[in-house]
Amino acid sequence: MEFEFTEDQLELQRAVRDILDAEAPPELARAVADGQKDAADFWQTLVGLEWPAMALPEEADGLGYGWVELAIVLEESGRHAAPGPFMSTVTQFAPLIAEAAGPGQAAELLAPVAAGQTTGTIAVDEGAGTWDPAEVSATGRRSGDDLVLEGTKHYVLDGATADEIAVAVRIEGELRVVLVPGSSVQAVEGIPVDPGVRHATITLDGVRVPAVRLLGDGDASDAIRRALEESVTAVAAVTLGACQRIFDIINAYAKERIQFGVPIGSFQAVKHKLANMYRDIERARVLVYYAALTLAEDHPDRTLAASMAKAAAGEAQRRCVQDGLQLAGGIGYTWEHDLHLFLRRAKVGELHFGSASQHRRKVARLALQSSAA
Amino acid sequence: MRLTYTSEVEAFRAEFSAWLDANLPDPASTTVRPRSSGDIPAWAREYQRRMFDDGWLVPGYPPEFGGRNASLYEQAVYWEELGRRRVTQSFNPQGLGIVSASIITFGTEEQKHRWAVPIMRAERTAALGMSEPGAGSDLAGLSTRAVLDGDRFIVNGQKVWTSGAHHADVLLAFVRTDPDVPKHKGISALIIETDTPGLERRPFQDITARQPDFNEVFFDDVEVPAENLVGELNDGWRVCTGSLAHEREMLWILWSQGLDQMLDAMLSQLNDGAGAGAADDPVVLDGLGSSIMDSWSLRLLGQRQLARSQRGLHVADQSLLKLLGSEAQQKLALLMLESLGPAALDRTVPPGAQSPYESDRSALSWADRYWFTFAGTISGGTSEIHRNIIAERVLGQPRG
Repeated sequence: MEFEFTEDQLELQRAVRDILDAEAPPELARAVADGQKDAADFWQTLVGLEWPAMALPEEADGLGYGWVELAIVLEESGRHAAPGPFMSTVTQFAPLIAEAAGPGQAAELLAPVAAGQTTGTIAVDEGAGTWDPAEVSATGRRSGDDLVLEGTKHYVLDGATADEIAVAVRIEGELRVVLVPGSSVQAVEGIPVDPGVRHATITLDGVRVPAVRLLGDGDASDAIRRALEESVTAVAAVTLGACQRIFDIINAYAKERIQFGVPIGSFQAVKHKLANMYRDIERARVLVYYAALTLAEDHPDRTLAASMAKAAAGEAQRRCVQDGLQLAGGIGYTWEHDLHLFLRRAKVGELHFGSASQHRRKVARLALQSSAA
Repeated sequence: MRLTYTSEVEAFRAEFSAWLDANLPDPASTTVRPRSSGDIPAWAREYQRRMFDDGWLVPGYPPEFGGRNASLYEQAVYWEELGRRRVTQSFNPQGLGIVSASIITFGTEEQKHRWAVPIMRAERTAALGMSEPGAGSDLAGLSTRAVLDGDRFIVNGQKVWTSGAHHADVLLAFVRTDPDVPKHKGISALIIETDTPGLERRPFQDITARQPDFNEVFFDDVEVPAENLVGELNDGWRVCTGSLAHEREMLWILWSQGLDQMLDAMLSQLNDGAGAGAADDPVVLDGLGSSIMDSWSLRLLGQRQLARSQRGLHVADQSLLKLLGSEAQQKLALLMLESLGPAALDRTVPPGAQSPYESDRSALSWADRYWFTFAGTISGGTSEIHRNIIAERVLGQPRG
């Protein structure tokens, strides 16, 4: 194994960081948080840079980057608390289309995504917060050449704004994925913890779509699970980036903030918190990169690796949000300091697509099964 | 970034694996067990000598010193093979890994052949005299005194925690040779034969109440030939930190393998019904998941360090790996104790806890295993010291 980025990957990391430093400074996240701006202009900038096409296959007019490269982009996106539909479109919608649709259908559906003309998201969870396909109870029934859908989907990322929503429903006993235009569903947003990451509850009751919007053939449970491994790894990568930013802010602050005549970083109580944050971030970092690598190589460990990455990122955010805010002292408790922009991104990363605890238990069950085998 | 080793590295693994198949002693011949980390039974001396002679003892060294100039990745798969088969590299690990390594790095040619080679070939065993009653975390504050008197040093003072000293033939001891300069600048490293008059060793038991490994070592006007000085006079701190670097360079592999062995044991015992249904307890599963992540992250961080070393980059994660590895073992042992509940009150060693090629010290009940993990979080720099090191040397925080 060679567990370090190649020169090309390091170069990509530098380039992505430079672009986001310029295009997604804290002022952007702050303007979105203050409700003075939405993410539309930023998204158009990314479309201009061909970022939506980056990880899509060449058959769909994508650039065919691998998952390690995508993880680099996602981490930087979290590090900048970048807003917009990149995560939902590229790491949720696109993988589910690729897994659930037949090859020809997938290429046809993903080409407009690659071109930046279409944004998309997925609707799987129904309120349990597990994203477990087995728990889907929404239905579809055939009516002439149409499908009529019933049910309610929760925590749909960008559910109120996405052009297309890939919805998991049961049709004639099988779990299937149906493509629904965003404009055809009723979507309700709450008040988001991180205004750059917006979820909606969508109500499908009576939504009618042409049957050609049904993806692939046969039961889609495995397709959904595989696509979710990508989505979960993506959330972990974004969370990792947000944690890194919190850490960078606090590590610098501890060197500058003078109390009792010395920098607070000279106190062991502060040093040990910083060392723990660093440990948890590095632990999450290698597990996120490992998950990306197993996705890139479609390795059998990808299920385990995605859950480990999500759980480790969750543990890192817990440490970084808790100790980061504590070490920042009063200034971190204000709206005007940038810290909260990244605290929010990190915390949201933990609370959707399965908590750290859920993923840890899954990791344990997988290991017990493989030990018994 | 990729998941597999190159075919050259895999070929190296296959060659070593074939050598082990042909040369590992018959388990029936391993019934005489090492009494401490300073004692190697005859069958294991013979085996270690064969490893040296065939260039498999320290693969990164040249053939003259028991190696074959192996690359870092080749060394990594060497450790993987030993770990997979649960074969210890040497029953005198500090003799091979620190004492002989320090002499190879800092000693004269004459010292290498006179002291290091016999230790590597298991003809003699060695112990490491570092800590003192008054010098633990503040190791450089050591006060065992050595005064140069013509062609010999006269040594007076005391060492403690000296593993295996009661069975070792020689000590590599760090002593104060100049008390009038800053503490790091007045230390020297001496090789001291343990049968020298005036040297007394008192073994003592550790918290797990097994055969003693630790010793107090007392020096009362012990005469040491001046030629036994390793490195320059008063330059012993460099030898000391160099020897710790030897200890830490590939140490993550041992942390990782130790953790994996504990994890494998826990998984199979839980699957066999240990802890009366603990395998279905969400709290146990939650903790177990975290320990599995510790194990993977330790291995991956170690692999990252390896990749960076291979590229000639500065590596700075030894403290992180030590901290993570030692605390992960403790966390897992504690979890298993709590999962077992009253079943953990019995200190009987579970069957299959030990391979014939490992020291008996690795065969422990879960209760003793938990105590033993504190050896990890205390020795080689306490967890607190390593947190300071990370904050200061990796994160750039000011010294307190």
